[in-house]
Amino acid sequence: MPHDQCPSTVKGEKQRPSKEQLASAPRTLQRVNGRAAWRSLDEAVDAPEFRDFLEREFPAGMAELVTREAVDLSPAGAARDNESRRDFLKIMGASVALAGAATIPGCRRPDHKIYPYGAVAPEEVIPGKPLFYVTSMPTEDGGALGLLVETHEGRPTKIEGNPLHAHNLGKANQRALAEIQRLYDPDRRTFPVYRNPARGNVPATWDDFRAWATEHFATHAAHQGAGIAFVVRKNASPTRAALRDRLLGQSGRWRNAKWFAYSPAWGEAEFEGTRLAFGRPMRVVPMMTREKTSVILCIDRDLLDNDPMMLPASRQHGATRTLWGPDDPMSRLYVVESGLSATGGSADHRLALPPAMVTAFAVALANFVLPRLQEPGSQAVAGALAALPAAPADTIDRVFLEECAKDLLDAANRGRSAIFVGETQPAPVHALVAALNQALGNVGQSIGYVPVDPETASSGHAALGALASGLRDGSIKTVICVDANPAYDAPGELGLPELLEKTTLISLAVGRDETGALALWQLNQSHFLESWGDTRSADGVIAPIQPMIAPLYGDSMSEIEFLALMASTDFGARVDGYEIVRSVWRARGEWWGGAAGDFDTRWRRALHDGVVPNSAFKAETPAPNFDAIATALAQLPAPAAASPQALQARFETTHVGDGRMANVAWLQELPQYGTKVVWDNPVTMSLRTAEALGVLPVGYSKKDPNRMYTQDLYPHARVAEVTVNGRTFRAPCWVLPGMPDNTATLPLGYGRANAGLVGDGVGVNFYPARTGAGYATGVTIKPTGDTYPISSTQNHWTLDGKDSIIRAVDLPAWRKHAGELQRVVDRTYGTESTLNFAERLGELSHMPPNLSIYPNPFNRSNADADPNDRTPAKPDAPRYANNRPPAYAERPQWAMTIDMGSCTGCGVCTIACQSENNIPVVGKKEVAKHREMHWIRVDRYFTGDDINSPSGIHHQPVCCVHCENAPCEVVCPVNATVHGPEGINYMTYNRCIGTRYCANNCPYKVRRYNWFDYGVKKFNGDYYGKEVVEKVAPDRGGVTGSGRHNKINPNLIPPRLREKLDEIATMGMNPDVTVRSRGVMEKCTFCIQRINFAKHECTLANIRDQEGHVVVPDGFFDVACAQACPTNAITFGDWLDPKSRVHAMRANARSYALLGYLNTRPRVSHMVRVMNPNPEILKRTDKARFEHMEDPFHHGGGGDGHGGEGGRGDDGHGGTGEKPHAYIDSRKRNGDAGYAMSLRVLGGRA
Amino acid sequence: MTSIHPDQLNAQRLAGVARGPTPPPVNDPSTGDGTLIDTPGVRPPLILNQRGFGEITDIVCGYTENKPPRWWLPAFLSAFGLAQLGGVMILYLVITGIGTWGLNNRVDWAWDITNFVFWIGIGHAGTLISAILCLLKQKWRTSINRSAEAMTIFAVICAATFPGIHIGRQWMAWMLAPVPTANAIWPNFKSPLLWDVFAVSTYGTVSLLFWYMGMIPDFATLRDRADRRLRRSPDDGPTVAPFLPVRSDKIRAYVYGFLAMGWRFSSRHWHRYEAAYLVLAGISTPLVLSVHSIVSFDFATSIVPGWHTTIFPPYFVAGAIFGGFAMVLLLLIPARQLYPNMKDLVTLRHIENMAKIILVTGMMVGFAYSMEFFIAWYGANFNERYAFQNRMFGPYWWAYWTMISCNVISPQVFWNKKMRTNVVVVFIVSVLVTIGMWFERFVIIVTSLHRAFLPGQYGMFEPSLVDIGIFAGSFGVFLTLFLLFLRFLPAFPMAEIKAVLPQASPHGLAGHGAGDDSQHAGTAHGTTKGGH
Repeated sequence: MPHDQCPSTVKGEKQRPSKEQLASAPRTLQRVNGRAAWRSLDEAVDAPEFRDFLEREFPAGMAELVTREAVDLSPAGAARDNESRRDFLKIMGASVALAGAATIPGCRRPDHKIYPYGAVAPEEVIPGKPLFYVTSMPTEDGGALGLLVETHEGRPTKIEGNPLHAHNLGKANQRALAEIQRLYDPDRRTFPVYRNPARGNVPATWDDFRAWATEHFATHAAHQGAGIAFVVRKNASPTRAALRDRLLGQSGRWRNAKWFAYSPAWGEAEFEGTRLAFGRPMRVVPMMTREKTSVILCIDRDLLDNDPMMLPASRQHGATRTLWGPDDPMSRLYVVESGLSATGGSADHRLALPPAMVTAFAVALANFVLPRLQEPGSQAVAGALAALPAAPADTIDRVFLEECAKDLLDAANRGRSAIFVGETQPAPVHALVAALNQALGNVGQSIGYVPVDPETASSGHAALGALASGLRDGSIKTVICVDANPAYDAPGELGLPELLEKTTLISLAVGRDETGALALWQLNQSHFLESWGDTRSADGVIAPIQPMIAPLYGDSMSEIEFLALMASTDFGARVDGYEIVRSVWRARGEWWGGAAGDFDTRWRRALHDGVVPNSAFKAETPAPNFDAIATALAQLPAPAAASPQALQARFETTHVGDGRMANVAWLQELPQYGTKVVWDNPVTMSLRTAEALGVLPVGYSKKDPNRMYTQDLYPHARVAEVTVNGRTFRAPCWVLPGMPDNTATLPLGYGRANAGLVGDGVGVNFYPARTGAGYATGVTIKPTGDTYPISSTQNHWTLDGKDSIIRAVDLPAWRKHAGELQRVVDRTYGTESTLNFAERLGELSHMPPNLSIYPNPFNRSNADADPNDRTPAKPDAPRYANNRPPAYAERPQWAMTIDMGSCTGCGVCTIACQSENNIPVVGKKEVAKHREMHWIRVDRYFTGDDINSPSGIHHQPVCCVHCENAPCEVVCPVNATVHGPEGINYMTYNRCIGTRYCANNCPYKVRRYNWFDYGVKKFNGDYYGKEVVEKVAPDRGGVTGSGRHNKINPNLIPPRLREKLDEIATMGMNPDVTVRSRGVMEKCTFCIQRINFAKHECTLANIRDQEGHVVVPDGFFDVACAQACPTNAITFGDWLDPKSRVHAMRANARSYALLGYLNTRPRVSHMVRVMNPNPEILKRTDKARFEHMEDPFHHGGGGDGHGGEGGRGDDGHGGTGEKPHAYIDSRKRNGDAGYAMSLRVLGGRA
Repeated sequence: MTSIHPDQLNAQRLAGVARGPTPPPVNDPSTGDGTLIDTPGVRPPLILNQRGFGEITDIVCGYTENKPPRWWLPAFLSAFGLAQLGGVMILYLVITGIGTWGLNNRVDWAWDITNFVFWIGIGHAGTLISAILCLLKQKWRTSINRSAEAMTIFAVICAATFPGIHIGRQWMAWMLAPVPTANAIWPNFKSPLLWDVFAVSTYGTVSLLFWYMGMIPDFATLRDRADRRLRRSPDDGPTVAPFLPVRSDKIRAYVYGFLAMGWRFSSRHWHRYEAAYLVLAGISTPLVLSVHSIVSFDFATSIVPGWHTTIFPPYFVAGAIFGGFAMVLLLLIPARQLYPNMKDLVTLRHIENMAKIILVTGMMVGFAYSMEFFIAWYGANFNERYAFQNRMFGPYWWAYWTMISCNVISPQVFWNKKMRTNVVVVFIVSVLVTIGMWFERFVIIVTSLHRAFLPGQYGMFEPSLVDIGIFAGSFGVFLTLFLLFLRFLPAFPMAEIKAVLPQASPHGLAGHGAGDDSQHAGTAHGTTKGGH
């Protein structure tokens, strides 16, 4: 039992607060602290900090600096302590210099206090004008991302990737973008909480903690820390590593303490595998390029989405597949996987297998490939492979295996391929793939290896096991969890929650968590946007973390500050992240090339750029130890087939990551890949498996696979008892076409019990089922008879025969026809138009050209119906006939293209847009009613003949396409949505009365209506029916559920009776964008605030074209979605700028207008997805499509006069008595010429 | 109460309050109640039981002057309660947000606009009867036009509610009006919703004028009768309330006097009245066609498959007349059963005539349904075809087939004369048609929207309790107003009915076997004269 050592409660050194004070303390403190950051001057003058500041004359911290007992970790630190006077001047000088170079008022100066602008505001702060600063963040897999943060008057409001950071080059993942919401999360820990044995949790202060720690750790000091355990997340930060060494090193104060680092959702199989292969842990980095990579194979690795290498891999993969002309190279992607991932969805050929069979596939592939390569030394491996038991016959698609192997072996692809293997697979498979890559000559070409620090490479599972055993045998008495939550995410077999409860537990974290609930001390951590620090990305880039804002909740400590405090001999010492980082960096001369130089200059440079130059690891080409690999292979278990009685289950992460982000509503409401489910983590499986297990969704019928969505307003899943590794969970089951049979996914990161209003009780926590392996076997699923409502943003699986929406062709067709233009002459009207490759695939190929019967006042003439005719009128032409220039002929004309060929469906654009445009979340119940507010969504469609094994999954991001002939504009009775001269469809919120006619008439359904006060009222957690919570999570049931859930949909309460948005939460809003009230329609604005900002800047800079108009150079700015897209699938710019990217993209033959036949003339065009299938596989499996590849525009490739034939066009393949096709409408196939070609790829037969 | 004036006694007798001799009922089934004679050359009576002018006056005025039947108060209270429920729901809706309805971003209109179009359609029968049948000299209209017009007004009131409350910011509804503002932003005159505002308000205004103008002579009669009673016995007669010693006749005289606008039955008044009535009928006639055409433009001018159809204007007008007549029957059949002597005024002939109109318009509607499908197929537009296929076999198949069976199949029974003269059958078919016409609008609106273009944005609509409550409330408002109308306003145009009586014919009473009408006529004249 922990002793009550808190001085504030035991010794009475301070006045003991009354019960009433204690009861009201959290609220008061939160408000006081929460407001500190933007307190007005009037309020501030009474604040103690301000008085303090006045008294000192100098910025706070200066006094300490002069006579400090600073924590300085560098060897030179002690010597420099004598130079404190010089430091004083330096820092005073630096704070001025930094203001010019990199810092901002919101950014902490060395004095760490933020205070209101006085009479003289800092020079660079112009109210209303955002400032951008770089920083970086540690990611949950132990790596890091470089970030660029937009701040408004010291408030960070939007996160983007740091373009100078070599790892992510301006891109960021969903979680990084959503960190804004975590920073301003009202449920964060706001002050230390001490668990008094007698009175429960009482609010405390950091001083209380320091006093308590002085006393408590004195007992440990005698044993140099024996009995202390630090539990941390894996983090490659150099400063943290230095602190760890200081704590635990030879001379460390706590050299007998234990240090347990782990990443809950990420395994170490890759490092184990490389350790087997190379003798030391390494990390595989993709180095794919357009020129050097032609074949990629991913073995159960979601390289393009949930992966430490997501951003570089997406960037590189997108680059290998961007087609400009018919002769461009294109890579081919094979994916073998046990789930359905974004990578699988992007694949040209995908094979779904249960996880154990994926191992068997890797073995079989190596068995096929290695003997044919004769790589010196690899004979041992080949021999070991041959000795392994073969997989049961017919479990692995031989055609796929052989043709994929042949493709890899093809001389033309030698050294131009890349094989990646994922987390679910055991270490020997990783080693085997290392051997394969070596033998294929890929190493140093398409992939490389970089070193991994020992902590990242260590086994997190083993660490937690050691912690548990230490706790059990009593050798560990004090556990210090720093940003770690083992009570939630540890494997259940360890029984950690019970053990931790009995120990002296100190928990430092940003948000509430389950470990904190058990802790003696819950300490509030600074968010990374509030603190100093540094990071090292997976590929080695070192980047600083610099604060954008002073800690919102008064006193708080960052991880390094806390560890420094722990390392200090005096718990009352002042710790200073800024100094800690600087002292570490100063000592690392090798980072700076070893040359002598001015550290401060370099430091400022690093703060400005956000990176330490040239710090990325050089990719290595280590030689594998084939014998070791062969030995390891022998340990592989025999391939076990999965069956409905013994399923295999894979653990995977989704948008909320490992669960730390569970209280971020943006991520909870971001539709999950494939299922599009939000606010839940149902166990997904294939339809066949669900049927065999009796857990098909309620209402599902084979005849109508969408019936579960139409039977009831809320689709209902069946709740099942899922038994994994001896633990049983009650979880809803959902279907996901494309999943391998007899396989289930167990998404991690949900089921938080103590995350906050948003995250509590959402989904089921599957962490207890983990045992350290990437997947589980022998899983059983038994229906319980209960049902559970599921919300998803897309309630239809397929294209429903409307195939010209998604257009996809095979590469040979593109090669052959990309350059052709088809002239269509309409026989009746005598009009003609020209169709590009993409337009020939859709309705326009057999329609009369669009011709307005009215002279369109916005066009130059009624014959100007060609949406691609953008040539500006000649200067001598009578341009000003009506005393005004023709519409859309003057720069700028904004336009966008969305490339469905490179879109992976990851959803980063949605989050970027949500953050930029203050888009509210609406909650599960409202999503179930189709009221989600996302301005850009990613529609997904499964294609193929059988929903059980769809041939493909296609993604189509759709935002407002800004039609030139906008159907929404004409029907609005109050002129609330009108067209701008730059081609943007404006939405005037003030004018809107909410008739919703525009939304009805929008064929793209991109308009979003504020059914309630979503934006300005508090998002009050989520609605769960009480009975549902009780059934699914009995421990959280009862009258009040978890105590915080709403019993009714809070939106149904009149807004005046509801709480307003928390002040903290409003700080994350973009001040340039209106927060919409209820009753108002909204939609994508093309980030009009960014456009106007750019135009102002360019006006100020006097950038003009030859006609004197202000123009915005291409790339001067980007809209949020285009900026964020990891594959650069979205391009935005000025269409009339002949040098702009968007101009080139619109002119590309792959560009077509979605639903273009409606003559809406959208400014957003989509681009045909070109697939690169292996002809040999098609020849052996899909003969019809293969033959089709040769001559897609059959019968002479189309030609003049085709347009008039309309409904009679015959594609020559119709009605040949083939089996019926689930997704292809037979009525359509005669009506559309290019349709047939696209259809082959979409998986049907025309 | 020893002595009672013979006029009053007669009025009480005719109202069923006092006993008196009544003519024997007609037993010949082929002629129904005597109005269904089909023999050429024989003009069947429009009013039964050889009512004289005075009797007509007594019957019609009696509905407002005598104590209401026993069922009236409970019926009124239930209807009023329902109306209040709707009112509370509307209040909640305005306070909380449109999200309390089941609408969503896939189906942005559902019950709100369905109800709007439904109620607007209901009103069409009234205008058709009062205007078009007036111009066509269809004398039988006189017995039903007043109540049909009243129904029109009440239906327009119900209809106008829905566009008013369905917008997201109801307090900004004034922005639909072409009010010049300082920043010179006008409404969008290209929007059909704005046309709706003008069409419906014009329609409502003209219908109200028409209705009110027709009632002026009858108000004068009611005024005169109250005034006469007051003069005859100033201290006698009912009071407004037991504790309020104000004679109700006094209030009647004032109120009806005010409403009668000084009508004195002079020839000049009648002359002006006839001319104005004709002019209003002329104005109303195109409105019958225009209003629902314009309402249909809400859909027809859009690009939504299933809405974007040129057939909509005539189809909607036919449907509106169809639904409107069903509603007239729905109101008048119970009323004539429950109100004394109303069967003499609203005869089986009226019911049969309306049933025939229902049959004809029902088939027009059916034809329109089939043409929609034909064009969807013939037009070769994939989305159009999909929309109609989805209508029949999609998730809302039940709504579609309800509509077809109610609107197309059920009126077919009216081919049989026995059926269309059987009030129970006619009533049941009217109920079905009313349901079917509501579903027609539901099918058009919801099934077209819920699966429009992109399969990724398919969705469903499910009504909430607020949807249901407000719809029920609109029925409450409608019935409340109609019951008040029956109670306090002249439910039949007395002067016009008298004009179609045989004894009003300047050519005498030949061939109609009218007996002692001179006595009644004298009474009638005496009554009106006595008013002065």
